Amino acid sequence: MSSGEETSPEARPGNRSAPDRDLPETRWSAAIDNFLQRAGEFLSWIWLVLLAVIVVNVLLRYAFGSGRIEFEEAQWHLYAVGFLGAIAFCVKTDSHIRVDVLHERLSPRMQAWIDFYGILLLGLPFCALVFLFGIPFVAESFASREVSPSPGGLPGRFIIKSALPLGFAAVALAFTSRLLRLGRRLFGPGEEEPRG
Amino acid sequence: MEPREFLAIAMFVLFIALIMTGFPVGWVLGGLAVFFTALAIVFEQDLGIYTGVDWAYTSLTVERIWDLMNNWVLVALPMFILMGLLLDRSGIADELMKNIARLFGRVHGGLAVTVALIGILLAATTGIIGASVVLLALLGLPAMLDQGYKPELATGTVCAVGTLGILIPPSIMLVLMADRLAMSVGDLFMGALLPGMLLGGLYVTYILVYASIRPGVAPAPDDAPSPDWRMVADVARVVLPALGLIMLVLGSIFFGVATPTEAAGVGAAGALALAASKRKLSRPVLREVLTETTRTTGYVFAIFLGATAYSLVLRGLGGDELIHHALLDLPVGPQGTVIVILFFTFLLGFFLDWIEITLIVLPLVAPAVQALGFDLVWFTVLFAVCLQTSFLTPPVGFALFYLKGVAPEGIRAPTIYRGAVPFISLQFLGLVILFFWPVLVTWLPSMAYR
Repeated sequence: MSSGEETSPEARPGNRSAPDRDLPETRWSAAIDNFLQRAGEFLSWIWLVLLAVIVVNVLLRYAFGSGRIEFEEAQWHLYAVGFLGAIAFCVKTDSHIRVDVLHERLSPRMQAWIDFYGILLLGLPFCALVFLFGIPFVAESFASREVSPSPGGLPGRFIIKSALPLGFAAVALAFTSRLLRLGRRLFGPGEEEPRG
Repeated sequence: MEPREFLAIAMFVLFIALIMTGFPVGWVLGGLAVFFTALAIVFEQDLGIYTGVDWAYTSLTVERIWDLMNNWVLVALPMFILMGLLLDRSGIADELMKNIARLFGRVHGGLAVTVALIGILLAATTGIIGASVVLLALLGLPAMLDQGYKPELATGTVCAVGTLGILIPPSIMLVLMADRLAMSVGDLFMGALLPGMLLGGLYVTYILVYASIRPGVAPAPDDAPSPDWRMVADVARVVLPALGLIMLVLGSIFFGVATPTEAAGVGAAGALALAASKRKLSRPVLREVLTETTRTTGYVFAIFLGATAYSLVLRGLGGDELIHHALLDLPVGPQGTVIVILFFTFLLGFFLDWIEITLIVLPLVAPAVQALGFDLVWFTVLFAVCLQTSFLTPPVGFALFYLKGVAPEGIRAPTIYRGAVPFISLQFLGLVILFFWPVLVTWLPSMAYR
């Protein structure tokens, strides 16, 4: 197993190194990853919906002189759900940007240790911060029956606000799956042959 | 210096140290925000040192993220990403390569100029360095090498033009910069347009001059047909849809017909139609493009959210004022201060991507530059050119890494490094020109209808 494999033409920005390519799976991690993959692919259609909403709103504005507030608000609702969900998908696909000047010269085992502690000490605490403070943020909106301040805006503002803690819960879930896989690699039975 | 400012400095040092481990940048930023909040509380409660940061303060992160969620302008970001990816997959780059190369068949250096023109045209759509460099390398590098180009010239062209994409609007980097500095996206787009063209022009001029002085470095085939009007027509047929789309996007912003968000959405729809009309838009391709949009959006926003929390805590610890005063107290005069900032940006660009630098460093230094009386659009464009240059600079420029990953066998790192050198000089020349003639940046925004 070599750490310095050639980057394939498929290598894309944000995927500069993929140390998890051959991380062992566990039953739970496979289930979580499978779910996140499907959810991410499903979520990706949101960009097409967003595109359609923008185009329709532009046409309406062109035809009737003014766009509709609902459509304008729907745009950022869709975009917010899209980017929050996308973050968890990036954890699953290991697309987050790494600085790999030194990283790629480390042994795969060392890289696994870095990810293991990184997730425990940096990633999950940040998720906890946003999640724990996100809950009262949503609850407050719900309790005050907050709606869009614009006339004709969308109601039920707590719904879109709840995308924030939900998104970070999904990130935490993706981290959990990675932790399981990293744990298997670091502490599991000696599994030296990478799969597939 | 206040004791809490040591915490701010430690926070920055630790950031640099931790990202070097290769752990994803966004999570390093977010995690440090949590860690230093805890540390600040310990300092305040157990050591009696005033820090001004506690959980209630850091919980403002949630409000800040909400500000990003209901941000109308940033909706443009995924739409520009989608537009770029669609144009990439539409196969238009291959057609451009074939047709423009034929037109320039007899010109020494014609292929390199072709790559440069495609880069300038399509780079405008992606704004993601890795994507442009990989695209141009796969497309143009084999052709140039087959024709006997000096490898240095071929690789240098690809790297330089590939990085230009982050500067030429509509670029997602400019959208982010405008958002962070509370500038109009339109102003920044217009401000960056002429400088981007200037740099592209410098590249093309250099290639043509070099190739005419030393024809051996960029040979033209002897049997190339001489250009005729049919070839011009072929080029126009291929160029016009893509060019038209980009002009539509920029033009509608320039004339105030559409907001950047609307322009991005309509641009993406246009790219979708273009790809469909070329029969490149199968369901699997569409799904792949959309998933890729999700991934790109995801990694940009992960850093965005992490940087939001990080900047909040850094500001709470007095880091912003520290930098602000340090910059204003530099004994080098206003222009010297700008040069110092640009130099540090250049150094940071060696190991940080534009996303981190734009989100963390730019908001730290911009207020000082503004306080010194400089035009913010002008400074931001200089900042962007500076970043672009550092992505080209050996041994750690990102563009060089990407190129090495996809370059054919036999192209070694030293070749790529040597190839970048003349283009770095051109970048430097461009920076000097923009520094002394700010009007190149400020003229177009001043003309735009608002």
